[in-house]
Amino acid sequence: MSIIDAIKSKAVRSPWLYRINAGSCNGCDVELATTALIPRYDVERLGCKYCGSPKHADIVLITGPVTSMVKEKVLRVYEEIPDPKVTVAVGVCPISGGVFRGSYSVPIMLDDIIPVDVNVPGCPPRPQAILEGVAMALDIWKTRI
Amino acid sequence: MLDMLSHSFHLLIFPGGLFALLLGLLLKGFDRKICARLQRRVGPPILQPFYDIIKLSQKETIIPDTANKAMFKFAPVFGFMGMMVAAMLIPVPGVWNGASGLGDMLMLLYLLPIPAIAFMLAGSASSSPYGAIGTSREMVLMFAYEIPLLVVLLTVALKAGGADGSEFSLAQVVAFQHENGSFGFNLSMLPAFIAFLCFIPGTMGVVPFDLPEAEPELLEGPLLEYSGPLLAMFNLMSALKLVVVMGLGVALFFPGTIPGGAVANLAWFIFKCFMLMLVSVTIVRTATGRLRTDQTFKFYLKYPSVLAYVSLGLTLLFK
Repeated sequence: MSIIDAIKSKAVRSPWLYRINAGSCNGCDVELATTALIPRYDVERLGCKYCGSPKHADIVLITGPVTSMVKEKVLRVYEEIPDPKVTVAVGVCPISGGVFRGSYSVPIMLDDIIPVDVNVPGCPPRPQAILEGVAMALDIWKTRI
Repeated sequence: MLDMLSHSFHLLIFPGGLFALLLGLLLKGFDRKICARLQRRVGPPILQPFYDIIKLSQKETIIPDTANKAMFKFAPVFGFMGMMVAAMLIPVPGVWNGASGLGDMLMLLYLLPIPAIAFMLAGSASSSPYGAIGTSREMVLMFAYEIPLLVVLLTVALKAGGADGSEFSLAQVVAFQHENGSFGFNLSMLPAFIAFLCFIPGTMGVVPFDLPEAEPELLEGPLLEYSGPLLAMFNLMSALKLVVVMGLGVALFFPGTIPGGAVANLAWFIFKCFMLMLVSVTIVRTATGRLRTDQTFKFYLKYPSVLAYVSLGLTLLFK
């Protein structure tokens, strides 16, 4: 492996996170904020940073069942994230609809519209589980750079 | 010809260019690590800013359809080049005297607002409403912090001019302080030094005065639409700016040297830059919350400006 490749491979140590709330009840979002803000979990030690703009993001964390009102907006924000990117579905809602399953406003699941790489189940998932999901997403991201 | 060669060396390798970039990114890494440790977090590795740059340079660049494309691409390059030239003018006491033939202090006064202007160009070219708000806030902030800076530079120039006249060359300012003691330890210059300390967080755009970027409310304002290598360019620009502002602070107030030759003095310079950053950026941004635009403007007009004028008056009185 040449020096250039060795330098390029360091990119994996700087994953920036972006949150999309696709109609979530806010429970998972609170847990996401926990991983960012509370010293005990501190996601910044992995080099992560929560960013406000989808254009800066590498790993996108999606919470909530994709309601019919928010579907187009999620797709639009998702397309604004530059490649290479990894998608993490946080909570049980994006996987199956969770407690909202069968509702008239939840006609589709997340992986019908977006390729999901990692699922972090839970209602809401524990911060440790979210950190593990981010770490798994990092392994996937490594293969895409 | 030789002049040309030495200028390009100073522009590209030392003290501008390569040296300033590495030092700036390293200082930023320490800033993030210390901020995390003050909040009792583990924090990112110290080389994190380098990883960020490497990552960003490999990402896709997305340019919005509604943006002014030429201006959108030009803004980061403009800011970066401006700071490259500014970094070249910074003297490293005991190692290099600064490019005295190129104007120094007045030149810096013109070059220092270039990153702010690059932000304004970026914000207005990206055609995003957040960028527009960021642009207007950047303008307000710039008017606020330029006044104390101007008065501080004037005070230092008058002081360094000795009994008659003023001295605007940074190399002469440093030489004057080597003979007559650093201005940082001079009682009549103390208000000016405090005003300069207040100026630093404003110009660096860190937390009490980070109005244009304001991550939680404006989502980084002018930088919102930037991605990939262009965003990396903005990061490099702010790393260079950190070195320029800290280097200017060291040259104006603490240019003392230590025995032991160029290498020891280089390390001494880096240490002084680090300490100045610790006091004026890291601790301030960890300990405070953001002020509103009007509060920021009033703060700069009330305290740093008045302190700088006090120093100017004292200097004129006891000349």
